Amino acid sequence: MAKEKNKVEKAETLNAIVRRQFNRNRPAVWSLRLLMFIFLIGISADFIANEKPYYAEIKGQTYFPVLRGIGVDWGLTTWPTELSNVDWRDLQYDKVVWALVPYSPTTMDSKNRDYVGPFDQQNVASARWKHYLGTDNLGRDVLSGMIHGTTVAMMVGVVSMSVALLLGLFFGSLAGYYGDSRLKMTRLTIVLNVVALPFAMFYAFSVRSYTLTDAMAVSIWRFTGHFILSLGIFAGIMAIPNLLDRFFKKIPYLGGEVSLPIDILVSRLIEILESIPSLLLLLSIVAIIEKPSLMIVMVIIGLTRWTGIARYLRGELLRVRSLEYVEAAQALGYPEWRIILRHTLPNSLTSVLISVSFGIASAILTESSLSFLGIGVPPEQVTWGSMLSLARGETHAWWVAIFPGFAIFITVTIFNLIGDGLTEALDPRLKQ
Amino acid sequence: MFSYILKRVLIFIPTMLIISILTFALSKMSPGDSVRIALGNQEAQGETNGSSDRMAGEKAYLDMAQQLGFDLPSFYFLFSNAATPDTLYKIIKKPERDNLERLIGQYGDWPEIEQYYHAVKAVDLHLLDVKKDSTIFDQDKLIRDDAGKLLLEYKDVTIQDMLTEMDKASATSPLLAGVHQDIQHLQASYTAIKQKATPSKNMIPSLKWYGLNNQYHRWLSHFLHLDFGISYIDKRPIWSKIKEALPWTLMLNLISILLSYLIAIPIGISSARNKGSIGEQATTVFLFILYSLPVFWVATLLITFVTTPEYGMDWFPTFGVGEITDQMSWSEALMERVSHFILPVFCITYGSLAYLSRQMRGGVLSVFRQDYIRTARAKGLSEGKVVWKHALRNSLIPIITIFASLLPAAISGAFIIEIIFSLPGMGKVAYLSLQSRDYPMVFTVMMFSAFLTLVGTLISDILYAVVDPRISFDK
Repeated sequence: MAKEKNKVEKAETLNAIVRRQFNRNRPAVWSLRLLMFIFLIGISADFIANEKPYYAEIKGQTYFPVLRGIGVDWGLTTWPTELSNVDWRDLQYDKVVWALVPYSPTTMDSKNRDYVGPFDQQNVASARWKHYLGTDNLGRDVLSGMIHGTTVAMMVGVVSMSVALLLGLFFGSLAGYYGDSRLKMTRLTIVLNVVALPFAMFYAFSVRSYTLTDAMAVSIWRFTGHFILSLGIFAGIMAIPNLLDRFFKKIPYLGGEVSLPIDILVSRLIEILESIPSLLLLLSIVAIIEKPSLMIVMVIIGLTRWTGIARYLRGELLRVRSLEYVEAAQALGYPEWRIILRHTLPNSLTSVLISVSFGIASAILTESSLSFLGIGVPPEQVTWGSMLSLARGETHAWWVAIFPGFAIFITVTIFNLIGDGLTEALDPRLKQ
Repeated sequence: MFSYILKRVLIFIPTMLIISILTFALSKMSPGDSVRIALGNQEAQGETNGSSDRMAGEKAYLDMAQQLGFDLPSFYFLFSNAATPDTLYKIIKKPERDNLERLIGQYGDWPEIEQYYHAVKAVDLHLLDVKKDSTIFDQDKLIRDDAGKLLLEYKDVTIQDMLTEMDKASATSPLLAGVHQDIQHLQASYTAIKQKATPSKNMIPSLKWYGLNNQYHRWLSHFLHLDFGISYIDKRPIWSKIKEALPWTLMLNLISILLSYLIAIPIGISSARNKGSIGEQATTVFLFILYSLPVFWVATLLITFVTTPEYGMDWFPTFGVGEITDQMSWSEALMERVSHFILPVFCITYGSLAYLSRQMRGGVLSVFRQDYIRTARAKGLSEGKVVWKHALRNSLIPIITIFASLLPAAISGAFIIEIIFSLPGMGKVAYLSLQSRDYPMVFTVMMFSAFLTLVGTLISDILYAVVDPRISFDK
């Protein structure tokens, strides 16, 4: 036993090789560090830039308004009556510790309206209250908007790529592993699958459509719950013919096995989806949503971005499948699922990371172009793109043109550099 | 080769069909009343004098709906539940139809729901014919508002409340006696819905077949006859709007793609040849930065800094394509166009230029490692000859395949650039029509862009075979 473990440690795994190669790529490593920093800003945005104080003593009472505010946002608690709908700056404090940047992205500083620049004369009490990156037309602090825009950008990357990954992994591994000849079914099962599909759609989505839309109106989490339930119903109905497959084999003609050209089907689907101009498709999907919401935009971006991942994974799996160690595994008599899950997929996943990395960059770009055009994102939501769009109408406000755009640029570059680093790490020949 | 092209062109058909169904479905799901948009929102609601005016308004609405084909079923078939009648599409106003569907979803008894729907409409019509005087002004308004809301309400509690409210209001004045009767009838029909409810019918799937006379078929067959319909907004034929917009988009894209290939190939070759030198490394970094710069940011920066006198660099015109008058000589006219085009073309070009150069460099480097290049060098050929005669052709392969992905990217990029610089191309047209929910226009632009993308992919596949004789599609 101990001897075997020793052996495993000696042989360097593919992932270890990739990590070693990646660490040699200085720009990529620095990008990763910078990314962690940006990510940190993103998750702690409420603590960095907030109109509420960290700590306040009012009339002998002690409050932690920033923390409380986060609790209220998550629905865990409510404001005490004396603090609901107050203007935080006008309160009489016995003692107060303001946030690092004492403005929320939506705080409108009425004394510094209509684009006050960082070097202009600002109407503020002291340097503590200065708008270091200027303000916009409504007197909102640009620095605060930049910090909170980071949260939005990170969320866009994570949510849209999770959606894209789910779909991409599913379709990619289906097409790549089974190819055109490996998925065999009896004729009857194929027919029954075609018949079951409309029924599954009907009971999973059509019947439950009002439940789903009502849940959407309540909260995104409730919707997600109901949606998963719908998916479960769908999968359950579709499973019936496929589980019965083995019993059909005894039937003379209908029980004959034919192979499904799953690779052709998936490839064609990808080809069709990719020939639709994605920005136009996104715009028209977003246009049919009555109530703009960032969450919906993120999910839709994910839905239009999975094809890249699927295509990549398919190619990788097709390559890996013909490698000798898979043949060896087959010769050893391992079952199919074990070969897919334990041998081929892990070796292809590293390369999927590359398309995820580039995918996040393009998702962030897409979201910021959408909010730049003022489509799909609610008007009160402050994002990098929406801040940048203000510069279109107001050419003298160079600070709204430069800073948000620079943030988008840096973030996109980081993900591109990481993607490049991963590509080179996987295929060191490129480096030469 | 020929059979390959034929096969590819045949694949266009299902692709375009799926795209057409997708766009059509999107337009059906969109909020907003297309008929009202087409009518130009003129139809004043509510304040009409008597039922005849209301009828005239409804008739104008129906006429327009008929003209646009909205009185037809949407698609060849409808897969829904057994409770939904197959003639529901005849209720043209989408919000009302949606609400009826919702009621069907709750109660499942269409005959009773239909009775109720007509009863609500009857109250509304009857009220218009009642002689108004100041004593019943409030009641009249309340009942009319409630009747309007009932058409869009499905929650039991709210409906009950409104019905009681209407009942009470109509009982107050003898002038409203007729309406009071109608309201009582309405209440009875609502009770009937709930008594005879068969919600289980919603659980039975049913397929309704409508045949060829449907909205999609009508739209598609017109489309295939190159009749793209009429824009809702300005009532102009869509084809004429597209004819104006398409040349601008094509010109922008062709110029920028041509430019980026022309510049990228020498850059790629020279940076591969001088690999490792400081100049080469600087170029590589510069190209990478260029590649990552968001195009709308660069465009915004350019507009902010070099098109206004604000920062002393008012070098270029800000918006549009410029105007060419008769007095201008051709060189002046050319200058006018060029000065308007420099910034947009630059914005569309730089991204693909950077990407292409990087790919070209990689392509040349991998060719340099081949044995035949070593052979060429060993037999004493000059470096120039090695590069241009032997290496170039093979290193072109990767960047030619990129052409396929460059075209849709360029179209998408041009889209946002056209909006920012206010150029009258397809992107601008699509954006404006999306904002005003002018769906026939959106459809057509989407179909055209998809078609251009498919053609781009096909061209790059053919070029692929031309450059690399090893690739043969006839197998």
